[in-house]
Amino acid sequence: MKTKLLLIALTLSCNLSMGQQVSFTIQTINTQNDGDDRGLVDMNGDFLDDIVSIGRQNIQIFYQQTDGALSEINIPTTFADYPASWSMAAGDFDGNGYNDLLYGGGSGVTFMKANNTGTGYTEISGSEFVFSQRSNFIDINNDGNLDAFVCHDVEPNVFYINDGSGNLLYNQGSLGDYPTGGNYGSVWVDFDNDRDMDLFIAKCGGEAPRRDNEMHINNGDGTFTEVAAVMNLEDDMQTWSSAWADYDNDGDLDIWIGASTTADGFHRLMRNNGDGTFTDVIEDSGLTLFTDTDIENATHDFNNDGFADIITAGKILYGNGDLTFNIIPGAPFGSAFGDVNNDGFIDAFGAGTLLINNANSNNWLKINTIGTQSNLNGIGARIEISSALGNQMRDIRSGEGFRYMSSLNAHFGLAQDTTIDTVTVYWPSGVIDVLNDVDVNQTLTIIEGATLGLDDNTVKNLILYPNPAVDVLNLSDISQFESPFYSIFDMSGKRVMNGSLDNQRLNISQLAEGVYILRVADRHTRKAQKFSKKR
Amino acid sequence: MKNTLLFLKIAFSLAIFSFVSCGDDEGEMTAVIEDPPPVSTVVLDPNQPPSQKLSDYKFFKGELKNQEPAYSVIPYEPISALFSDYALKKRFVWMPNGQKATYINASEILNFPIGTALIKNFYYNNVQPNNTTFILETRVMIKKEEGWIFAEYIWNDEQTEAFLNQTGDGVFKEITWIQNGTPITLNYNMPAESQCFTCHKLDNNKVLLGLEPKSLNFDYTYEDGTQNQLQKLIDFGYLEDNLPGTIETMVDWEDTSQPLEIRVRSYIDMNCASCHIEGGQAGYRGIRLAYGDTTNPENFGICEDPDTPIPVLFDKKIIEPGNAEESILYYRMSVSQEQYRMPQQGRQIAHEQALRMIAEWINSLPGTCD
Repeated sequence: MKTKLLLIALTLSCNLSMGQQVSFTIQTINTQNDGDDRGLVDMNGDFLDDIVSIGRQNIQIFYQQTDGALSEINIPTTFADYPASWSMAAGDFDGNGYNDLLYGGGSGVTFMKANNTGTGYTEISGSEFVFSQRSNFIDINNDGNLDAFVCHDVEPNVFYINDGSGNLLYNQGSLGDYPTGGNYGSVWVDFDNDRDMDLFIAKCGGEAPRRDNEMHINNGDGTFTEVAAVMNLEDDMQTWSSAWADYDNDGDLDIWIGASTTADGFHRLMRNNGDGTFTDVIEDSGLTLFTDTDIENATHDFNNDGFADIITAGKILYGNGDLTFNIIPGAPFGSAFGDVNNDGFIDAFGAGTLLINNANSNNWLKINTIGTQSNLNGIGARIEISSALGNQMRDIRSGEGFRYMSSLNAHFGLAQDTTIDTVTVYWPSGVIDVLNDVDVNQTLTIIEGATLGLDDNTVKNLILYPNPAVDVLNLSDISQFESPFYSIFDMSGKRVMNGSLDNQRLNISQLAEGVYILRVADRHTRKAQKFSKKR
Repeated sequence: MKNTLLFLKIAFSLAIFSFVSCGDDEGEMTAVIEDPPPVSTVVLDPNQPPSQKLSDYKFFKGELKNQEPAYSVIPYEPISALFSDYALKKRFVWMPNGQKATYINASEILNFPIGTALIKNFYYNNVQPNNTTFILETRVMIKKEEGWIFAEYIWNDEQTEAFLNQTGDGVFKEITWIQNGTPITLNYNMPAESQCFTCHKLDNNKVLLGLEPKSLNFDYTYEDGTQNQLQKLIDFGYLEDNLPGTIETMVDWEDTSQPLEIRVRSYIDMNCASCHIEGGQAGYRGIRLAYGDTTNPENFGICEDPDTPIPVLFDKKIIEPGNAEESILYYRMSVSQEQYRMPQQGRQIAHEQALRMIAEWINSLPGTCD
């Protein structure tokens, strides 16, 4: 009887997973000739993923509207010293509500910094030679300001530390120092659940020591230690990127390391043993027959079944939640991933083509993160959810796979679960937010510290009077801020107003009655206070 | 024997005469014959760091920008050149007095003695606005006890001097010149030190390129006449005189009297094989593009799947016989986007003339894959 039940269960799960593959509808996007079609990521702070195509003298954005339409804008820029050829990353390093861009070029790195309305960009290019590969925005020293990291193909890696005044200071050395480089795919992950971001580098080319993959664990004090060897991750296979997810939903991140050529070792599927070591479990995964190679390796839950999938070489390796996979062709190739129609299913964009996920009946949850003490994007935050099907996790990462910039929103598939017991956000600052009994099929915006009782990380003296307010908020002395800007969020975390803060009076007459959070920030300081609006 | 020596002395002195363009009567000539052979004026101590200025080495006589080699600085060129955005190049070799290189085999770089310098000027003619010649950079490689080093010299706008690039980061300079009647504007890239090493690299050692006998074994027109380049080096005392009777030599890819495949393989060797060779920067990729390797269709990528598929040619072969347009090798040679283009370094624009040859060859290949 037990055997029979098990058999039925197996058949069911098999049918379920086979039946839940998603298909994609192809739509041509009119990006400019020779544009580097790079991003499916929100650019204007509304948390709806936008389409981003980069030219040498322009940034072409197709803004996703709330009604699903795409609104095209072509923003001219200065002639970028370096193109976004090898990679692009996005992050709001000056915290003004509009994402800035990093172009990883073959001879150097260009930053394009968005102005306070997102309508123009200022180029910042260094003279340093950098043969860029994967790039990331990440708060390396955990001071609340986003820094940037760039893999160097032929030298030690470089990174740019944000001094909090809008300056990115160039550094080379201490995060992957093999003299002739070999650094291709950097990804920042919290593999040991200690709530800081560690750096894994997929490496390739040259002599075996040059291409040994590296794992730099974050010591929590701004320093890192390379420990790949003791973790069983020092591996001289040839790889350009890796895809980190909790493929078996057991509470820690596992790794798909895609070989770029199998001449020096096959793909790896590394199970996180939970003790700081990993074990290759590809033998029983169903992936030993997967002989395709690609420089792009990424992970999302494409069919929203609650099990992370892998996408590479134009195929989706559908996860079964137990470190086994089904290989299905006909998937996007060479793409950024995000939700371009806000339907809770992951779409793809690349090479002038949008691939829209045709979805299925599974449920989902999306989470947008707004940092207050941590960087505004919440990059580096860990989000864990628990529901009937188990526990799932995502890290907010800027820069995954090899070349593209995917959504900064966390996306979870939930199969047929209809409620989520808990959503926990571990912010880089150490703040932890917990939400209980969360509905599925919605997008939740979580402001850092919002569930704690706002007094814990907000101030009381930002607004002088009145509170509640009707039409005008009068602010306290703002002379401590340098060119401040403000954002007002409703209690669901949706940004309802923002702009430059030119004087101490804010007209809030357009707001509906309710409770809001006012956030005032410049490059050094961020302050937030709750207020009430009355009619 | 004495006669031979006397003849050599006369030859040397004649060379001096033509170098300095003075003296034209028998009396002066007789006087010179009594002088000892000329000696090199080049100043290069391999134990010292590279000079700050190119002129310090005294590689050139007269005005530096005239690129006229001093005595003992011998010009050379490979039979098929590396394409570098149509930049013109003058190449020279110099060795310390009494030192000479040795021959290994046709496809290996000559083994040069410590203290050797290879000098390569990059310039354009018809540079706008005044249709002048403009030299951008001079790359010098010097062989030290521990191996080769790179020294990158960047020319000033006055064209009076080239200065050592101290940062090692490389420099860009915008330049416009007329190429076959058409103006081309380019942000010319003078390479960073680590960029040099991506191509000048074999098994993690710095190496020369284009100085294999298979590249040098042809006639070159010197100031004093046309001569086989290897023989010239032997005659000058720069190369040991032990060459084999025959040396398998590549061809000038522009020489249409040669078989198409040989022209293609010669071009591909010079433009691709520095990386696509065992121990090269792209040695981990399956294709092998040196002249001696491309007789094998698999090495060339014919009907081979790429390790790194690219979006516009997903599922296509590296070389699809009869179909250049659907061949990844042709695509990579034709695009300028740096993430797809080949060669990766030293080229921003496509080499149209070579592309026509590559297309003609791929389109002539018989058969289909599978």
